[in-house]
Amino acid sequence: MLAVENLKVVYRGVILALDGVTLRVEPGEAVAVLGPNGAGKSTLVRALGGLLANYEGRVLDGRILLGDAEITHAGPLAPAREGLTAVLEGRPVFRYLTVMENLRAAGHRLPRARLAREIEEVLARFPRLAERRHEQAGYLSGGEQQMLILGMALLTEPRFLVVDEPSLGLAPRLVADLFQRLRQLQRERGLALVLVEQNARAALAIVDRVYVLERGRVVFEGRREEAERDVDVLEFYLGEGPAGYRQARRYRRRKRWV
Amino acid sequence: MSFFLQLLVAGIATGALYALMAMGFVLVYRATRVVNFAIGEFLLVGGYLTYTLNLVLPLPWAMVLTLPLAFAFGLLVERGFVRPLLGRNVVAVIMATIGLALALDGATQLAWGPDQKYLEGQLPVLTLALGELILPSRSVWSLLLALPAALALVYALKRSRYGVLVRAVAESEVAALAMKIPAPRIVALVWGLSAALAAVGGALLAGLSGVGPHLIAMGLMVFPVAILGGMDSVGGALLAGMLVGVAESLSRGYLEALVPGITEATPFLIVLLVLLARPYGLFGEREIERV
Repeated sequence: MLAVENLKVVYRGVILALDGVTLRVEPGEAVAVLGPNGAGKSTLVRALGGLLANYEGRVLDGRILLGDAEITHAGPLAPAREGLTAVLEGRPVFRYLTVMENLRAAGHRLPRARLAREIEEVLARFPRLAERRHEQAGYLSGGEQQMLILGMALLTEPRFLVVDEPSLGLAPRLVADLFQRLRQLQRERGLALVLVEQNARAALAIVDRVYVLERGRVVFEGRREEAERDVDVLEFYLGEGPAGYRQARRYRRRKRWV
Repeated sequence: MSFFLQLLVAGIATGALYALMAMGFVLVYRATRVVNFAIGEFLLVGGYLTYTLNLVLPLPWAMVLTLPLAFAFGLLVERGFVRPLLGRNVVAVIMATIGLALALDGATQLAWGPDQKYLEGQLPVLTLALGELILPSRSVWSLLLALPAALALVYALKRSRYGVLVRAVAESEVAALAMKIPAPRIVALVWGLSAALAAVGGALLAGLSGVGPHLIAMGLMVFPVAILGGMDSVGGALLAGMLVGVAESLSRGYLEALVPGITEATPFLIVLLVLLARPYGLFGEREIERV
């Protein structure tokens, strides 16, 4: 089980990005973390991946538990040891390496024969990558890069997979396809998936539970059906619901969530 | 004609040494974006280590034993100067290497004294005569040691498992860490390797001209070579090393009599001319940009 308890994160010692976030993810569960720009979504991903130090950030308070292990301050390689892989925003593939080299780099901990088998499996799952396996990853399209980074993440053998904004910059049809693949992966491998997204409509289609972040805090938490019924979530994250834009603005000004 | 060939081969032999040292330097630059201004001192340390071991051991063994010690020295530098500054502006690390260079200058003088030291004994004589062409033993050894090492390094970086990881870390440390690649260990390895390669150069040069502060000046040859090769291309450093070695040798043979002192400037003149035409050096990596 992944548990985040009252997590507070600051950048450069002064900018408070997460202000007491608490959430839990059970093994094999799919959870969406939604929220607008600047809500702290990416910060949460970096914290889970143990990568805050690379962004001049640090955990001020609270803790992150993975099973029995506390990984809050354990450095960048600790989450990996406990089976958590964080895919950062913007599809950070190695652009100067070929597709094959990217996969080999990600799977470096596997024994040679296993690695070859697993790579073949990834390539079978994403045939586009197989076609372009000897090309530099920097020349792939956005969707292909997203598939590559997911394939790389799989080769790290996660039990918990955290993905930050996979839909960013992709055409809607690609997003739907990508999310279906994610869901399929999650089911087949029994992964726990934490999908961090702005594209709430697409994300809701494939998850069991939802957290909504705003200004570094959790402002909504519930099952998917509840989220889809909740008027606030509907209005602010799905752009639907009873209130029009003007009323939504007024609602926002009341700052009920702050 | 045979004079020309003689110069050419001698140049390639020296160039192989330059290449080896520059490759270590380029590797560090690629993996960490740190311009190591202490590279000359790495040579010096390699030279003095060989000299010290040579006091009790025959020369070949002293040279071989210098390698792991120099590697350890590289790790130490990484631990002491590079890792504490991790995540800071890279200029901070570069300034630290300048400080390190000065500190090592002083430290080696304190430890070994300011006078020139000479190595005892020599490597087995391997003079090669091909018709009129006579290769002195030191050239043969340079070629024999530096060339295979340099080629092996290029190959390992391109094909081996560790090579792929080094290139991955070089491109983006965060992305590498996110994929569970032990970036700090890889960076340490690169520094160790760089120091070991410099030590090979230092040891071979020491066998030729003794150990002393003049080795630092030899280490400075790394800069034109690395820049010519394109700063982040290890294969480029190999070719550029040869090029500079040959140019230097030809200049010494033909131009030195006409324009005394020109040989020192030749490598830099070449760099200047090449950079005018190719700002990224001969083999500098071009930015991938997708539109």
